[in-house]
Amino acid sequence: MDLYKIGVKIFVTNPEVVNLHDLIPVFQSWIQQRKIEGHQLIDVHDYSHVHDGPGILLVAYEGNFSMDQEDGRLGLFYYRKQPLQVGLEANLKTVLNTALRACKLLEAEPKLKGIRFKTDAILVVANDRLLAPNEPETRTMLETVIASALGAAQLALQAEDSRERLAFVVSRG
Amino acid sequence: MTWKEKLADKLPRALADEIDVYETQLELRKLGKIDEKLFAETRLRRGAYGQRYDNGQRHDGTKTQHLHFPSEPLTKGPDTMWDAPGMQRIKIPFGGLTSSQLETLADCAEEYSDSILHVTTRQDFQLHFVHIEDTPTLMRRLAAAGITTREACGNSIRNVTACPLVGVCRTQAFDVTPYAKAIAYFLLGHPDTQDFGRKFKIAFSGCEQEACGLVNMHDMGCLALVRDGKRGFKLYVGGGLGPVPYQAKVFADFIPEEELLPIAQAISRVFARLGEKQNRSRARIKFLVAKLGVDEFKRLVMEERKILPPDPRWTAFIPEAHGFKETPLKSPSSLDGASKPEGYAAWAETNVYQQLQPGYAVVTISLPIGDLTSKQARRVADLARKYCGDNIRTTVEQNLVFRWVAGRDLTELYRGLKDVGLGDFGAGTILDTVACPGTDTCKLGIASSRGLARELRTRLAEQYFTMDAAVKGLHIKMSGCFNSCGQHHLADIGFYGNSRTLGNRKVPHFQVLLGGKWRDNAGSYGLAIGSVPSKNVPTVVERITKRFVKERLGNESFQDFITRIGKAESRKMIEDLMEVPAYEKDATFYSDWGDPREFTMGDMGIGECAGEIVSRIDFDLQAAERLCFEAQLKLEANDLEKADELAYKSMLQAAQGLVKELWYDVPNDANVIAKEFRARLFEPKLFWDRFAGGKFAQDFFRRHENPPTRYDYDEVHRLIEESQLFIEAAHACADKLREQKVANVKL
Repeated sequence: MDLYKIGVKIFVTNPEVVNLHDLIPVFQSWIQQRKIEGHQLIDVHDYSHVHDGPGILLVAYEGNFSMDQEDGRLGLFYYRKQPLQVGLEANLKTVLNTALRACKLLEAEPKLKGIRFKTDAILVVANDRLLAPNEPETRTMLETVIASALGAAQLALQAEDSRERLAFVVSRG
Repeated sequence: MTWKEKLADKLPRALADEIDVYETQLELRKLGKIDEKLFAETRLRRGAYGQRYDNGQRHDGTKTQHLHFPSEPLTKGPDTMWDAPGMQRIKIPFGGLTSSQLETLADCAEEYSDSILHVTTRQDFQLHFVHIEDTPTLMRRLAAAGITTREACGNSIRNVTACPLVGVCRTQAFDVTPYAKAIAYFLLGHPDTQDFGRKFKIAFSGCEQEACGLVNMHDMGCLALVRDGKRGFKLYVGGGLGPVPYQAKVFADFIPEEELLPIAQAISRVFARLGEKQNRSRARIKFLVAKLGVDEFKRLVMEERKILPPDPRWTAFIPEAHGFKETPLKSPSSLDGASKPEGYAAWAETNVYQQLQPGYAVVTISLPIGDLTSKQARRVADLARKYCGDNIRTTVEQNLVFRWVAGRDLTELYRGLKDVGLGDFGAGTILDTVACPGTDTCKLGIASSRGLARELRTRLAEQYFTMDAAVKGLHIKMSGCFNSCGQHHLADIGFYGNSRTLGNRKVPHFQVLLGGKWRDNAGSYGLAIGSVPSKNVPTVVERITKRFVKERLGNESFQDFITRIGKAESRKMIEDLMEVPAYEKDATFYSDWGDPREFTMGDMGIGECAGEIVSRIDFDLQAAERLCFEAQLKLEANDLEKADELAYKSMLQAAQGLVKELWYDVPNDANVIAKEFRARLFEPKLFWDRFAGGKFAQDFFRRHENPPTRYDYDEVHRLIEESQLFIEAAHACADKLREQKVANVKL
């Protein structure tokens, strides 16, 4: 499977310290300093007015980063938009590593008051309904690949609703 | 498998072919076999629009960065990089939407955009940050759901809008839905609509006194009327907002329903044949109607009508239109004594409208600045299936409505909406701030209209329950520039973005417009009273609304109040707020809402030539602004001759100030000023807007060369608007001259 449109969300452990608007100058400074390797960072977008939305979005050509609030859970979401062309397992690892790198940068930001991310449980989304529809066959296939690529101890399907994208909450051992 | 293969049997053949052709054009452009300008218009006609920073440049707050894209130097239009994310506009004729269409939009937002669906002020949807390579697939998926993006942008018939209440409205003549649909699809891709110089917008309204259809501000407005038991329309032409707003003229007091499509076709032909093609800033039909006069325009159209070859589609839809009826999902009912959840009463007061049909209501879903997430969209689709079927519509106030909700379902629907964060009250009130994309994504944006709207919405919500009822009912609308996509002219309190230079720094500003009329189908337009720094706008709103409450006479409307106190007094209210504190005293004024980057001009060095920058030209432009304002006062007093003269003088003053920068001893002779202005600033394109070109200068030349012999209110009003824009352009030109001086000093 050539799936590269993958999203990974890494949850914040201490959302109470986070003021979404503090992310705006941080993301702007990332653009100034070209902080994310392999990404042409373009712009910052404020969606804080939308309920459980992408919060603050950092748009890049290769993929988008956001301090996301989907389902009421705050976390750093990274969505890959451009092909990686190295195979699904490798793609998964690359996307996860990009997200983790962004989390580390955020944790090191003095303006963000000690924000911390937990990496023992993450959300993995297949953002492509053609290649990875939310159906039993693809679920099984993707489960296997994720388990192998990310060393997952446990995978829980996020939504049975076939209209939603195929997504797993991955607990890592 | 590809989406093309998967959806092969779900797409209408013609639509599938069109998208295939578009996809081929993409490939040809990549091979350099299609000129970039031609490709730009091609993609625009498929709704694929440019977006901010797509020229590959972005000022990061300290310097202009070059954005590196892999396909460089490939472009998708002049100065538009191939790989730069763009916007996809999606037409929703009359705003009518089904649950499954909403789900498809949600899927596309997730997979190709940023999971946000944005409702525009013309009932379209927009997806942002979309890659050009994804657009053919996106279009196929939408087409399979019965949605087209064709002619959503470009010089074409744009989305046909209609009042979202038609069919269920208590004051309508009849339901215009089938007529809006018929005209939208009749003119879509029609050969007679393919050679316009600019876009063409059509709107329908079911009744005259309400705002919903906004027929007065459209290129063609159709107002439902029944005469002697026969359906027809009062037809308007030549309205429009944009930099200089025009009220539409009545084309015909009544045209019978069977003449709607042929007359629209004849209008299209006349517009295509006689409309301006070279000068884009005067190419909308409003300029043609103004130039010919509505009577002559009508004569030409009716001549054209006579020679049109008959088309069975002109009338084929009419029997269906008469039988058109939406099917409610549930039987009518009332809420009666059902227990009401917390917050329900406030929500119901503003977001529920009792339909013409007893036992049913229209529910407005308030979307903050027109945005909803893909997940919310899916839940809205679920709620629609449960409570109203496929009777969803978008609105020009950037909301969604459910029609045919049975009375007894209202509380449960409210709970359902609240669960997904869409239970906000305040639809159609002062909280329902409308904003165009502005600097967030628009290439033309000057100031952050969405940032301002967000800020105002938050602040006003905190005060809402203690507000006077008269204030609650006001409309606030804002645009990021003078082009009026936020419809600021129609608001009680409107704003459009501009900038001013203080020292060697730029400060985001908003021009304040008061007294526009949303009612009566956009009955009149507001006039500018002064430009305030963006950060002072919330105080402006607070001050104006407080004064309104304090001095209102009886049930006086806001428009009447503003008219009564007059422009001079209105301006006095905000005069101190027009001041900008020094950067050292308060640097927050020098950045925009939600954007910490200093609002500054490209590569201009800080501190250089400061003495010259705070210069005489600023003084001259200030004087020009004062003259322009005095022109408004004269207009208000109905002294048209003096108003015209002052508006012209304000342009002359600004022009002279600019010429002085290059020739200090320019005399006060108007002819010399105009001649020198043309030679030194206009012809070398120093007085030249990146998007409007030489329009503003031409407005000045036209008035200089053709002083009026008689005075018409609309024309004087227009000249004042033009002089305001001329002064805005003069500010931009002054900045350019300063930059040149800096460059020369560096050399």
